[in-house]
Amino acid sequence: MLRFLTRRTVAAAVTLVIIAAVTFFLFFAMPSDPARLACGKVCPPETLAQARHNLGLDQPIFVQFLEWLAGVFVGRDYEGLGHCSAPCLGYSFVNRAPVFNTIIDRLPVTISLTIGSSVIYLIFGVGTGVIAALNQGKALDKIASVASLIGSSMQIYFVGTLAMYFLVFQWQLIERPRYVPFTENPLEWAYGLLLPWLVLAMISTANYTRMTRSTMVEQLSEDYVRTARAKGMSGRTVITRFALRGTLSPIATIFGVDLAVLIGGAIITETTFSLQGVGRLSIQSVVNSDLPMLMATVLLAAAAIVVFNIIVDALYAVIDPRVRLS
Amino acid sequence: MSTRRRPALAVLAIGTLALTAACAKGNAGGSADAGSSSAPRPSETNLTELFAPPKIEVGTADDSKGPAIEPEGVVKGSTVNMIDRDDYPHLDPGRVYDNVTANFHLLITRGLTGYKKVGDNHYKVVGDLATDAGQVSDGGKTWTFTLKDGVKWQDGSPITSADVKWSMERLFAPFITEGPPYIQQWLTEEDYKKSYKGPYDGKELGNIETPDDKTVVFKFNEPHADANYALAMTGYGIVPKAKDTKEKYDKTPVSSGPYIIAAHSLDKSMDLERNPNWDPATDPIRGAYPDKWHLEFGYQALAVTDRFVADTGDDQKTFSFYTHVAAERTQQVLQDKSLQDRIMRRPSPYGDYYYFNLDRVKDVKIRQAIAYAWPTKQIQTITGGPDTSVINTTILNPSVSGWEDYDVFGFKQHPEGDLDKAKELLAQSGDPTPTIVYGYNNTPTEQRVTVAIKNQMAKIGIKIVAKPMDTKTWYDATGKVENGLDMYWGGWGADWPTAATVFPVIFGPVRDGGYNQSHLKDPEVTAEIKRIEGLADVDEANKAWAALDKKIMETITPLVPGLNNVGLQLRGSKVGGAEIDPISWVVSPNTIFVKP
Repeated sequence: MLRFLTRRTVAAAVTLVIIAAVTFFLFFAMPSDPARLACGKVCPPETLAQARHNLGLDQPIFVQFLEWLAGVFVGRDYEGLGHCSAPCLGYSFVNRAPVFNTIIDRLPVTISLTIGSSVIYLIFGVGTGVIAALNQGKALDKIASVASLIGSSMQIYFVGTLAMYFLVFQWQLIERPRYVPFTENPLEWAYGLLLPWLVLAMISTANYTRMTRSTMVEQLSEDYVRTARAKGMSGRTVITRFALRGTLSPIATIFGVDLAVLIGGAIITETTFSLQGVGRLSIQSVVNSDLPMLMATVLLAAAAIVVFNIIVDALYAVIDPRVRLS
Repeated sequence: MSTRRRPALAVLAIGTLALTAACAKGNAGGSADAGSSSAPRPSETNLTELFAPPKIEVGTADDSKGPAIEPEGVVKGSTVNMIDRDDYPHLDPGRVYDNVTANFHLLITRGLTGYKKVGDNHYKVVGDLATDAGQVSDGGKTWTFTLKDGVKWQDGSPITSADVKWSMERLFAPFITEGPPYIQQWLTEEDYKKSYKGPYDGKELGNIETPDDKTVVFKFNEPHADANYALAMTGYGIVPKAKDTKEKYDKTPVSSGPYIIAAHSLDKSMDLERNPNWDPATDPIRGAYPDKWHLEFGYQALAVTDRFVADTGDDQKTFSFYTHVAAERTQQVLQDKSLQDRIMRRPSPYGDYYYFNLDRVKDVKIRQAIAYAWPTKQIQTITGGPDTSVINTTILNPSVSGWEDYDVFGFKQHPEGDLDKAKELLAQSGDPTPTIVYGYNNTPTEQRVTVAIKNQMAKIGIKIVAKPMDTKTWYDATGKVENGLDMYWGGWGADWPTAATVFPVIFGPVRDGGYNQSHLKDPEVTAEIKRIEGLADVDEANKAWAALDKKIMETITPLVPGLNNVGLQLRGSKVGGAEIDPISWVVSPNTIFVKP
């Protein structure tokens, strides 16, 4: 297990450095000039040069990248802004605030969105999938199939916008989404995010229902399930201990990826519901040509994918006894 | 010219009314609910007549006395909410060059001068911290300001002439690379950072004098009749010498205005509370009627629009500084009778032009033929119809002081184009069937506009070669002297509402990255611009600018004026005194109050 984790951690670190480098160098292929944007329209040459210097853009790109990378591990001193402690992801080009602090500030919103919605879609998705599989060919199965087909063809920006328009503004059945820290008021936290959770879950549930149903149907026809039944085990035991357990491996895989994608930034969801999470931050950083912020959001998304992949791989061994980590 | 949030280059390239803006400081006072901008629905479509240009003039010492003129039915107290998309990039006034941030700074920052609303669509440049709008001498080279008694910082210490001098000198410091350049350039040279590095090493700028604690004297190298307009920009707001923390001041500003920042969560929210040391008797500009302000950021236009339409709970006490009604809700909002008393409308104060490249389209007859044939009405229909724009006929925007109406090419009389006149001129030209390379922003709307232009020009025998261009690199591409284009769109907004920040720029030096996009190099025009810039009398200068405007269009025709977009905003039902400011094109906080 330790060897497995060590090897995967090293690989993850290398992956993140490569992603950081690619993001960094691609940024400079973009047509906009952050110094020019910061300097305003009537910008004398000397002022423009000063703006480049202040943003650290007057050095060779390679040097800039190495300095940024070093800052992540050992911190960095910025002229006029002071020391930025490790992990220093730089100062935003736009508001000159430390990027790391901004990310930390936005992360709770995104994590809350992720946790709430994933609990809902996991319970309903897997549950509905199991019910559909156990009622294969019956009305329940057909209803679940049609519902999941409709659900999986929906998009957040469509369902979310409709939900906001009708449920919040027209019929006023629920208050508009807002983020209240869990530590401040757990009930308000849940109520404030209920609508985004439900909309996000509605779409994701469909995928889990389809995946669970098809895998479960496959598992139910496996020899070991038949054997268990032949040995006289109860239906519940056969389903929960054998069939469902076999079903969970692929579910865990997509769940890990989905979680990572959401933590990396539920861009459309956060935008649709006006929530200030990492997803919206990433879009803003692209629009504003804010390289340090862009780097941080990309790295966060990449790190989430890498970390959750490791976790999922490790969980395989727990879920499925046939898997051994090596 | 600067823009809200997004710097001008990218923003103007996009050319959307939601983003384009200038940085003139918009102050208001006056009528209760939205004034002229809260107009009835103009289904009759003649917005040009509905929105008369604002009257802007220089006020007297009496005009400069506080308090501000109260809106009708004003109620003091309570908390007002404001929602918009973005937080403010700078809290240090010296780094502010966009109209939205400047508008916010009215709450916490004061300058020597500012705009006072004295009536419906009527504004005066008055003394803000100063007792009047400045005393000019030495033929316009020397400007003297005297500070009012009782003007204080949030800690109760007096605002002195040393603070004013310091605030100007620090604009030369290396860390300040944003903000307007005018006063710095007038005091030194065009590339002003070369001459002086700011006051932090103990060196002073010789041509700002402070003979006593109350008096500040600016000695410019050349006459500048509108220095009091320039000084009204937030970029020239005052910073306390004793509390200046250089770069860090951008996060922790000291208030001289009616409010102080009580809490600020970057990009998310801000709360303002009253500044106990602000005296309304010294302030002719700001009403400061709510006790508290709660500002929230991160809302897109659609979310803002839907909240205002629903108008429930706290949203009734909410408005937006700059978020326009989302395009997909425009018709719904305009047609919903229940929303009409909460609608705010105002034409943009910014210039919108289709430039000719005079290096390539050299025959004035061809340029004028195109102007006569221009499909103004077709373009208006494509871009949203007459509900969303007015027809412009001049180079200066009607909101600029001294603007005079004329319509040389009959844009209003023949909005569908005067094809007969165009053909007549083409026949007299050196090439009756010219080919014009037209560069356009490759967006769905501009694609349709280009088709309209192409079809219209084909009717008079002109072949349009349409060249789609990337939005993000629009200004870089069209800003090159050798851009390979004959005609292209461009925008410009005055930094303050006089022509002194229009003509010298859009007909200034021709260079890569410059803003003389028509490449007009006429010695007579250049000499006239220089002459008018040197006039000490503002009224005389305004008349001369207006005459030059017409003369340039009549004799040179370097451009075809584009449409003037009309901003459309909503507000909560319990917000009073809200209107779109005609100078800054955002809702000014000066007259806002909360109804019971």
